Amino acid sequence: MIEVSNLSKSYGDIQAVDDVSFTIPDGEFVVVLGESGAGKSTLLRCLNGLTEPTEGSISINDESVLGPRDDVAMVFQQHYLIEEMSAYNNALTGSLGRTNLFDSLTGRYEIEDKHEALRSLRTVGLLDEAGQSVGQMSGGQQQRVGIARALVQQPNLLLADEPVASLDPASAERVMGYVRQAADERGLSTLASLHQVNIAREFGERFIGMKDGEIIFDGYRDDLTVDVIDEIYGTIETDAIRSEAEA
Amino acid sequence: MSTETESGTSEVQTDDEIDDAFRFIRINKRARQVFSLFALVVFGWLFTLALDQVGFSVAEILEYWPDFEDALGQFFPPGELFGLPFVDVGAYWSFIQERNLIMQVETNGAGFMFWDWTVIPGQMFITLSMGFAGLVLGLPGALILGVLGSERVTPYPFNFIFRGTMSVIRAIPALVWALIYIPLGGVTPFTATLAIGTDTMGNLGRLFTDALEEVEDGPIEAIGSTGANGPQRVIFGMLSQVASPFIAWTMYILEINTRIAVTMGLIGGGGLGYVLQTQRSLFKYTNMMATILVIFVLVISVEIVSQRVRSYIRGTEESQGIIALIVEFPQRMVRSLWQ
Repeated sequence: MIEVSNLSKSYGDIQAVDDVSFTIPDGEFVVVLGESGAGKSTLLRCLNGLTEPTEGSISINDESVLGPRDDVAMVFQQHYLIEEMSAYNNALTGSLGRTNLFDSLTGRYEIEDKHEALRSLRTVGLLDEAGQSVGQMSGGQQQRVGIARALVQQPNLLLADEPVASLDPASAERVMGYVRQAADERGLSTLASLHQVNIAREFGERFIGMKDGEIIFDGYRDDLTVDVIDEIYGTIETDAIRSEAEA
Repeated sequence: MSTETESGTSEVQTDDEIDDAFRFIRINKRARQVFSLFALVVFGWLFTLALDQVGFSVAEILEYWPDFEDALGQFFPPGELFGLPFVDVGAYWSFIQERNLIMQVETNGAGFMFWDWTVIPGQMFITLSMGFAGLVLGLPGALILGVLGSERVTPYPFNFIFRGTMSVIRAIPALVWALIYIPLGGVTPFTATLAIGTDTMGNLGRLFTDALEEVEDGPIEAIGSTGANGPQRVIFGMLSQVASPFIAWTMYILEINTRIAVTMGLIGGGGLGYVLQTQRSLFKYTNMMATILVIFVLVISVEIVSQRVRSYIRGTEESQGIIALIVEFPQRMVRSLWQ
């Protein structure tokens, strides 16, 4: 169970996240929707401990989040992999939090972690490419390695910050499919921020809509009406969805 | 009528504007010409001063030209190759053999079986060993200073302790380091190697620091988000991003070290440089040229190997052709003298 209470984060005069509270039961797949600058990334970074909140608290299974921890994994928009290393070695870095310095330097990871790295690569459909250098992979494949790295952490909470924003529509759909599949297989609580409403509706279970740092919607697929999307994004996005629906 | 007047006035105004612009351009051009002339005069004056300082004299060149011609005849002793006039290659080869500049193979009088052969490494290998051993000795220091000198690892201004150390090392040329190490055992291949090792710490460390300043923040943050500790963030987030440039720079320093090892010999540090220096003092120009040819072969070989490795690592790097490597050899040799 993830509990966020009265969370706020400001950068100078800018209130990025404003008094946000919600809970996520184990295994729920939550999509955070909102325009650029709505506070989605800041919220995720606070949950991961990469950014310190100005006010409020976050707890995972009754343990407070005070900094980066190995049971909260993050998939970044730009994948942030080590391009010189193979997919397998990149995935293995997910186990650094529970491996001591000497063992990680000499490559003496636990055999279970090595197996987990390969299992995670299989989950994202890259087992055959495990030995391939990440720098030679396509954007979609790189993002899938990023997901594998997050899974190797064996997290209680999986965060994905705009994981498909820099991918073409077909790759975006495939990558989100892998995220959802991995979350379902492992019963993972997941919080993904997404820009594309159509992809969000396809893969999300519960939706949190943010605007100007505040939560303005929290509900399930049936509640996510065109009017709600209109409120989150303004009319342009909604018009696109309407015309898509009509077509 | 009024329209005509208006258009007439506007035409006159336009011409004025063009005249003004043209005048402005002309003034600018004249100013540039005057400045160029002034710069040329200053440049010429500085050049004359410099020539005066070094006692440059065309008369001296003319006076000693016949001696130089004699020396050239000895540098390139005339001989024959396949009945055609050519340099006497045999004279070079006999000196190379006599002083064992490359290597000697002894067969122990037991036929052609290769296990009976004894290889005696020549002077070339002393020079190569100085460069290579100096590189390996200096590498750990370069890594430590280079990594700690980066602002990404050690916060400003503490990183300047390490950057400063590297700057001090670099400010003193390798040849001078060899002189500093004289009390440790005179000028020998051993102290020359120590000097090259010290020089490597300063130069390679600096290249490492520069490479580290350009790493991306994202992967470091991503490694941090897995719960990795500080040293793991540095090693996996930062150093793993620059593994390829580090290897490439190390190979580049091996090239430079080999050239420095030759110049170390000139002050008595052994190897090919020392042979060159001895033959120069005996005015044996043919032997000098034979030694220079071996230096050429050694340095070019190291460069070719280094370039191949670097081009393999970088993958996309455009590799330098062998002809360009050979043609640009003299300037690289001169450059290493100054470093």
